[in-house]
Amino acid sequence: MTGDIVAAAKFIGAGLSMIGALGAGVGIGMSVQGALEGMARNPDSYGNLLTNMILGIAFSEAIAIYCLVIAFLMLFVL
Amino acid sequence: MEQTNPIETSPVEKPPRRWRWGINRWWILLFIVLTIIGTSFIAPVMPHIQVAPEPLLEKPLVTLPVIGAIPLTNTLVAMLIVDVILIALAYSVYRNSKKGSLVPSGISGFFEMLVDMLYNLTENTAGRWAKKIFPWFATILILVLFTNLVKLIPGFESIGILHHAEEGHPIQQVIGNVYTVTDGTAAPGEGYVVTPFLRGTSTDLNFTVALALISVIMTQVIGVRAQGPRYFSKFLNFTTMFKKPFLGFMDFIVGILELISEFAKILSFSFRLFGVMFSGVVLVAIVSQMVPVFVPSLIYFFELFMGVIQAFVFGMLTMVFMAQATQGHGGEEHQ
Repeated sequence: MTGDIVAAAKFIGAGLSMIGALGAGVGIGMSVQGALEGMARNPDSYGNLLTNMILGIAFSEAIAIYCLVIAFLMLFVL
Repeated sequence: MEQTNPIETSPVEKPPRRWRWGINRWWILLFIVLTIIGTSFIAPVMPHIQVAPEPLLEKPLVTLPVIGAIPLTNTLVAMLIVDVILIALAYSVYRNSKKGSLVPSGISGFFEMLVDMLYNLTENTAGRWAKKIFPWFATILILVLFTNLVKLIPGFESIGILHHAEEGHPIQQVIGNVYTVTDGTAAPGEGYVVTPFLRGTSTDLNFTVALALISVIMTQVIGVRAQGPRYFSKFLNFTTMFKKPFLGFMDFIVGILELISEFAKILSFSFRLFGVMFSGVVLVAIVSQMVPVFVPSLIYFFELFMGVIQAFVFGMLTMVFMAQATQGHGGEEHQ
């Protein structure tokens, strides 16, 4: 019985910890919005804006990845 | 007879081949059919995923007095393969550059383009210190790029040794001595679990933490090399503490926060790379079990993209932090 409760708690914890990826989604959307707006105003700076947008996306995605690491920690290690 | 002007004659050029849709779809169809036939015999099974890398030999390689035992893990073997590939590439670029042709081709051309692009990025950000910072940026980028790409070769994380395990799967024979795990739960004590021979190095926390430590420690070294011992006044800022009492104290607190953020950088570097790569492994395993026919190839494409991006981000962040370390507070003051 306790084994089942521990397994259930693991899954619930992993699911709850992924709610943090919400912020990453919003952040990536806003940074792409800024980049697209800049590209629309000034098509010459496409390469420059693209590089910086990719860098910004990787930063925001890292926060979602931290949430994922906690979820994996709960599922596979502890 | 016509006198053809020697400048204007040219051999008849074939019209450039238009890219047609029809070429590759037959290969894709063939592979889909082969996959359907294959999975009807051997169905893929959710593998046993663990965060720690699996040792391949029972006895550890080296036992150091303080640090402990160092086993031969499957990520270490994969890293040695990547090292051999990188040395072979470097040697072939060296041979091509010795030939003396002005326009390199093939592997040399690719690496010249890569180095040129990275060096331009470094010069834009770092200025005078580009020559010192560029080797760290390029090495970290190329190493992480190749470990992430090599991880996608079929056979990684799937071919290995079968071990007895508690909650294992029953096995079935394929050819000769080659067995594979099948679906279902076996009787306890008789189940088997695969320990892969090779596993992507970036999925190992040892590798990512080591690389993050190298990056952050070398940032401090380059900062000291650029500014001398005055670099440490970024962290323990006693310069304005006695001239302007309250603002000086705020500067001191900001310095302590900078010190904490250096440690946070180590964590952030290592967990970003580890998280992306490990989640890729888990995603491929889950999707291959659920829909084995065409969808894993889309996931592999996503993994390829993420691998390249993460290598670029790791290197780029290292370069940006090193460039920031060479500029003191004087360079950042707003007028």
